[in-house]
Amino acid sequence: MFRLIVIEFLIILFLVSIFAGVFGSIVGIGGGVVVIPVLTLLLGVNIHFAIGASIVSIIGTSSGAASVYVKDKMTNLRVGMFLELATTSGAIAGAAIAAYLNSAVLELIFGSILLISLVPMVTKIGEDIPKNPELKDLSKRLSLKGSYTEPNGSVVNYNATRPKTGLFGMVIAGMLSGLLGIGGGAFKVLSMDLAMKLPMKVSTTTSNFMIGVTAAASAGIYYARGDVNPLIVAPVALGILVGAALGARLLVRARNPTIRKVFVVILAVVAVEMILTAEGIAV
Amino acid sequence: MNLKDPEAMNEIIGNVLRVGVIVSAAIILVGVILLVANSGLSGTASSLVYNQNQIPHGTFDVSLAGLLKGLTTLQPDSLIELGAIVLIATPVSRVLISVFLFAAEGDRLYVYITIVVLALLLFSILVTPFIPLFHA
Repeated sequence: MFRLIVIEFLIILFLVSIFAGVFGSIVGIGGGVVVIPVLTLLLGVNIHFAIGASIVSIIGTSSGAASVYVKDKMTNLRVGMFLELATTSGAIAGAAIAAYLNSAVLELIFGSILLISLVPMVTKIGEDIPKNPELKDLSKRLSLKGSYTEPNGSVVNYNATRPKTGLFGMVIAGMLSGLLGIGGGAFKVLSMDLAMKLPMKVSTTTSNFMIGVTAAASAGIYYARGDVNPLIVAPVALGILVGAALGARLLVRARNPTIRKVFVVILAVVAVEMILTAEGIAV
Repeated sequence: MNLKDPEAMNEIIGNVLRVGVIVSAAIILVGVILLVANSGLSGTASSLVYNQNQIPHGTFDVSLAGLLKGLTTLQPDSLIELGAIVLIATPVSRVLISVFLFAAEGDRLYVYITIVVLALLLFSILVTPFIPLFHA
């Protein structure tokens, strides 16, 4: 009997994680948004283990999909590395603050910010490639530019703008993951899309590339606390990796406006989930 | 492969991530197969999953010695733990290798940026768990 329950548990988690990996890899967020509520609400797993599994799932989504995106030159390695200065610093600050602040208040604040950021995202809903800004000042010194090839063969050249605003957004994203054990992918995509004006595919794949490093930064603490439970981590990691491989193949073929639409829906879900959690209604 | 070619960097980083993911998945898979085959959980993992009231912190033996001991006897949870560690190490290796790749391209600014990122990352993973400031 016990053995049956264990196998059933492993299979459910494996399937849910495939789903999380597909969505996470396409919109550049960790699968935690899907995995955490399923673990806690549906399967009644302790929240600490859910967060530990979420950290592992974020790294899995990131590394699994990034291996495809990087080879396809969809990910901008320089933009990613430059912004990781801010996300890793933010993650350390967040982990320190987490020990002293009420997480419900923070979730309410972050959830509200995400909800507000839906407005500019919705107004851009049909946008394919943003109007290309001139490469100047700090962006030029940091060579924050690039190009990628669409499935129809057309080459898209792009430049990043407002790197300092992007960097600021990334500090917030990093703090969020240090505080709450999530990838902070939603804030990363928003910063690259709204502030730095990168094409949607570059924003989501570069965010996907970065969340692995941000999550790894928080992993040590959760691991040392004993939150990485093998029974939960195993099916989640395997499912996420399968899902990320599938999702990465879908993204390369998808159109920018389609990805934007999927992102807006996920953003709304994440925002509502965070606010509900803060209010103590969910998770 | 010509390391000065910017394309080489994408190839190498892509391969590093792919190898990390495959090795980690393979180790975890072996752990799961052993787990299901002999339903041999060391007890803690399964009893804690559904037990909301039990405080999990510190329940697992997260010491390196404990992990090595579990690996030599092929304990399923130790194997899965090792797989998770390989997965966590994958993005770290990607940053480490980027230092050399940017150096090969002759991009000094990005060599410095990447070294700072690597230092922050290693500090966060290896040092912060031992600082009381970071414990809730």
